[in-house]
Amino acid sequence: MSAAIGARWQWRGADRPLRLALIAGIWILLIVFVLYPLARLFGRAFNEEGVFTFAPFVDALSNPNHLRALRNSLILATLVAAVGTSAGFLFAFTAERTNLAGGIRRLLDFTILLPLISPPFTTSIAFVFSFGPRGLITHDLLGMQDAQVYGWNSTVAAEALTYFPLAFLALRPLIASIGSDLEDAAFSLGGSRWHVFRTVTLPLTLPGLANAFLLLFAASLADFATPLILAGNGLPVLPTDAYLQITGMFDLKGGAVLSLLLLAPAAIVFFAQRHIVGRRNYATITGKAGGRAPHRRIASWLRYALWLACIALAAFIVYLYALLVYASAVVAFGADATPTLSNYRVIFTEGIPAIKDTLIIALICMPLGGVYGIVVGYLVGRMRFAGRQAIEIVSMINYALPGTIVGAAYLIAFNDEPIVLTGTASIIVACYVFRYSPTGIRTTVALLQQVDRSIEEASFSLGAGGLATFWRVILPLILPAFFAGLGAVFIRAMTAITATIFLVSINWTLITVRILENMTELSLGPAAAFSVFVIVVVLAVTSLLDVLLRGMTAPELRPSALET
Amino acid sequence: MTFPDASEIGGSKPRHLSRRTFVGSSLAALLPGTAGAASTLNAYSIWPENYARPMMEAFEKASGIHVNFVRFSSGEALARVIAERNNPQVDVLFGGPVETFTAGRGKEVFDPHKPPSWSELPARFKDPDGQWTAIADDPLVFMTNTQFLARHDLHAPTSWDDLLDPAYKGMLQMADARTSGTAVTRIFSILQVHDRNEDQAFAYMKKLRQNVQVYTKSGGGGTLPVGLGQAGGGIFFIVDALFTKQKGYDVQISFPKEGIGSAAECIALVKGAKNADAGKKLIDWATSPAMQSLFAPNKINFIPAHPAVKTDPALASVLAGAKIIEIDEAWAGANRQRIIERWIAEVLNAG
Amino acid sequence: MPAPTSAGIGLRRVSAGFRHPDGNEVLAVRDIDLDVAPGELLTLLGPSGCGKTTTLRMIAGFQAPSAGQILIGDRDVTHMPANRRDIGFVFQSYALFPHLTVRDNVAYGLRVRRKPAAEIAAAVAAVLTLVGLDGLANRFPSELSGGQQQRVAVARAIVIRPRVLLFDEPLSNLDAKLRTEMRTEIQRLQRTLGITTVYVTHDQEEAMAISDRIAVMNDGRIVQIGTAEALYRRPASTFVAGFLGRANMLPGIVRGSTSGELTLKVAGATMRVACQTAYAPGTRLWVIVRPEKISLAAGGSLPGEIVSRTYLGEKVEYVVRLADQSLSVVRYDPPEEGGFSPGQRVGVTLPSTGVQLLAAG
Repeated sequence: MSAAIGARWQWRGADRPLRLALIAGIWILLIVFVLYPLARLFGRAFNEEGVFTFAPFVDALSNPNHLRALRNSLILATLVAAVGTSAGFLFAFTAERTNLAGGIRRLLDFTILLPLISPPFTTSIAFVFSFGPRGLITHDLLGMQDAQVYGWNSTVAAEALTYFPLAFLALRPLIASIGSDLEDAAFSLGGSRWHVFRTVTLPLTLPGLANAFLLLFAASLADFATPLILAGNGLPVLPTDAYLQITGMFDLKGGAVLSLLLLAPAAIVFFAQRHIVGRRNYATITGKAGGRAPHRRIASWLRYALWLACIALAAFIVYLYALLVYASAVVAFGADATPTLSNYRVIFTEGIPAIKDTLIIALICMPLGGVYGIVVGYLVGRMRFAGRQAIEIVSMINYALPGTIVGAAYLIAFNDEPIVLTGTASIIVACYVFRYSPTGIRTTVALLQQVDRSIEEASFSLGAGGLATFWRVILPLILPAFFAGLGAVFIRAMTAITATIFLVSINWTLITVRILENMTELSLGPAAAFSVFVIVVVLAVTSLLDVLLRGMTAPELRPSALET
Repeated sequence: MTFPDASEIGGSKPRHLSRRTFVGSSLAALLPGTAGAASTLNAYSIWPENYARPMMEAFEKASGIHVNFVRFSSGEALARVIAERNNPQVDVLFGGPVETFTAGRGKEVFDPHKPPSWSELPARFKDPDGQWTAIADDPLVFMTNTQFLARHDLHAPTSWDDLLDPAYKGMLQMADARTSGTAVTRIFSILQVHDRNEDQAFAYMKKLRQNVQVYTKSGGGGTLPVGLGQAGGGIFFIVDALFTKQKGYDVQISFPKEGIGSAAECIALVKGAKNADAGKKLIDWATSPAMQSLFAPNKINFIPAHPAVKTDPALASVLAGAKIIEIDEAWAGANRQRIIERWIAEVLNAG
Repeated sequence: MPAPTSAGIGLRRVSAGFRHPDGNEVLAVRDIDLDVAPGELLTLLGPSGCGKTTTLRMIAGFQAPSAGQILIGDRDVTHMPANRRDIGFVFQSYALFPHLTVRDNVAYGLRVRRKPAAEIAAAVAAVLTLVGLDGLANRFPSELSGGQQQRVAVARAIVIRPRVLLFDEPLSNLDAKLRTEMRTEIQRLQRTLGITTVYVTHDQEEAMAISDRIAVMNDGRIVQIGTAEALYRRPASTFVAGFLGRANMLPGIVRGSTSGELTLKVAGATMRVACQTAYAPGTRLWVIVRPEKISLAAGGSLPGEIVSRTYLGEKVEYVVRLADQSLSVVRYDPPEEGGFSPGQRVGVTLPSTGVQLLAAG
């Protein structure tokens, strides 16, 4: 009611130069760190003897192997998205609607967390040792001979397991916010429980399901690590092929072209998501005390079935990670089960440079990413100015693109004049900040939508200018978004590999790259030890952020720092 | 784990800090660099860390020069050197199979340097122009899982054709030629065994493909699965095979009677290296008995390239009776791209 | 009695427009002229969409006029941003800062003005007492009832001693009882403090209860300004007549006029109404008759039939059917016996005084 029709934020008085400077500053950053690298990538890819041409692209598309890889990538992404979204919905529905016992709820929360904060390969490696010809599950448990672990089934399963928590996080608040009134009304009109579910609950969840589907589709499309281990040679996929093209065939241009083949599906997914999410209604912070829908509406047998399914899935995830810890604590996995701390000793001596580098970079990225996230979030979420949509889209580009594209682009762009950053920490920091802060941006925008404009107008009416209003009123209200941004950037900085594998150097190396190298050197023990270390650090830091957030916000403003 | 203080971080930053833009230097300002380029040197090591580390430490003791190195697999290391050619980040490419170095020579990323031991090395251990020099030799071997053999009533394979046995169906692991020097050496061994009759050699490889479970990204990627029994056998460098055996996995090492090739492990100076003098010193040291006599005590199962250094007896006994054939590196280098592409088209993607 | 700091408000030919999605320029407010005297409480009254809120927001500075001038005191504030106009604004949704306590909410404006801490503490305590919120200073807005939140919003706006107070339908979210209580509170406060106030509401009873003057708005224009009594007794248009209180609008034809009096034929009866204007016979006029002025008796001049009866305690409302017309009739303090029931025939007597005449058409 307070926003009159057609009201625009007009920037008058002393605030205006500040706003303009801010917008200009953001544009400069975006141009240098998002648009310029992509332009150089395009330039390198579509280049034949110095002439700009689409020929390399056309060649790549007519190569049957690349087409096969593209087709596989799309099919894989679809399957992973379908399976992962279903699993995420299962968990979310169970979590919100079946009145879980406290212990089970904690177990579910914890296991949801694990894949999100893990370094790459953890799921894949555990799969190899569980499902191969001598796998722990296939051979030792089920007595199967000659089970094959490489191929479609494993890759889909591993990726779905790795990414379904994203679907869970996206769907849970949505399910929670469907008011029980609606279902009560349908129920009172005579529908059966299943009918109500089908005609009321499910349609209301549809936008969320679509959003989750797209999230997982994009994640799978960009994943090069899982297929690297599990796909085998019968399942070429684009991101892995692009990576192999660059690192195996020394063909930066070919790798660039392959990466760009992924651009079209990634762009479609991105715009589809904007379209869907744009229409959504976000629940309010100080909303009604949304009571849990009474669990009497779920039939008992169904409730138990859901619990069972969730517990089984959670147990499997815990098993995979237990395997990891086991591998880190024995001398030689599968050959010598003597418990030992030598792997940890190795990572804390030889691995210290990687640990140091990764932590430094992660800790630098955190505040940069957090601040950038809320500044841009405020700009696109609250202000009206020419080019606002453009800034919003451009700021999301590096996030939406598969990591191989971004990494290759940065490698090409920043290795030569005019801006030379290879070999420094800055290139890695820049890559992380501009690739992972969109989480913070989106959370800020979402939170801002729940802050009524009249609150800012009230602040103005009381004499505060734009900056004072932002500092005193807006910032405290979007603090959860700031912490979410911090957490997201830190987690990714500790666990990312796809983009930055091209950006490590003699001076700066990352734990995730060390894990990959250890895997290829067959030093399974240190690889597992590094992975466990990363998980522990990430858990510690995100818990710390959560505690800080609770301490700093008024009681009614408290989503978890991890809810992105 | 305490947070490192600034002085530790400064460590061994190379000189190119001064070339950064404002953005880079403002971040770099957090991390003070040090001078003294003469006493440090940067390298990509293709050898695993636990091999490279003792060598580098010995070098530092001997020369006072600290080596800053990072380990990458051969494909990645060379790809980096090529990508960085306008602004080289390292001075030396250390270790790694010869085919990586011939490829690098083709891309013109090395500077020639002939170390003192040049004249003492046989022709296959050096590039005619001095672009690379060998520091070790690494034969390929067959490695098989003992229990797998027992279960299928097989003996350890002693012929290339033994690997075509249906019992091995879907149970072999070996390297992918797109990323691994091991694979390239293997392919050229097969070519050599078939007297460079490419059609015959490729026919064999296509048959072998039926038994391959997966082509691994790195040369040694299949050794662990073979050790665990996930795979029945594979073709690897002896270094990786013996490492697996030494870890305690129950495996057998054998050689085909038709012969199998080996790849020299090399070292080269990167073109435009910022610490070229230090790099040259490392090359000189690595190609001399000074380094290579350290293989045996460190249980590094390479055959030393320098003729004056004796092979470790244990290693020699494994190699006893093996027929190691020579691969013409010049021919291999010239045809590498073509052969690999043919392999990708006809063998890899046929599966 | 105006406070020393309060100022008058002037709007000179102010218009506000916006671009409709189909591209046309639509005017929400057209050409408004308005003067609010220092210390006065003026209400902008009108139906939804009449432009009253837009006008208020333009005075506040949240929206810029597309034409015209706005003055506060003797300063032209048309292009001055809201945070420099020295206003206090009370929002319909209260717009309390959810992350601040009541005390911090109220102190906000003073802190922005960098007043010394002691002065802030004293002022906040005083104003909280004034609005009756002692003891709630440490609560958060989410812990307060609607009425309490409303008071905090008011306290926050007045503690900074603004020159002008602006209320945007502040009571519409409260239940009926609370509304009547609160409007008295607001009126009392305003009289005590003497700050020039512009109040927006669509509730005519509220407007009549608290205002010094009311400006009735319709379709972006001010259609009449005056005291409640003036507007009620002498509405300038059928719109105003219908908006303030209830009105029966009867079509009448002038039969004749003598000095100071008109004879009219209305609903089949003849009426004599005092009127200064001499209308020619045959002129059609609207005769505005308030429901409480019509009397019903067993025998009355016009025959009518009771259509409905609504008992409301202090009054009874009847809808009565005349020949071609329905009338709304109200009877206060109805006796227990002697009421009428639906379907009953009754005689209707129209008054001869207290009737307003408006030109038809």
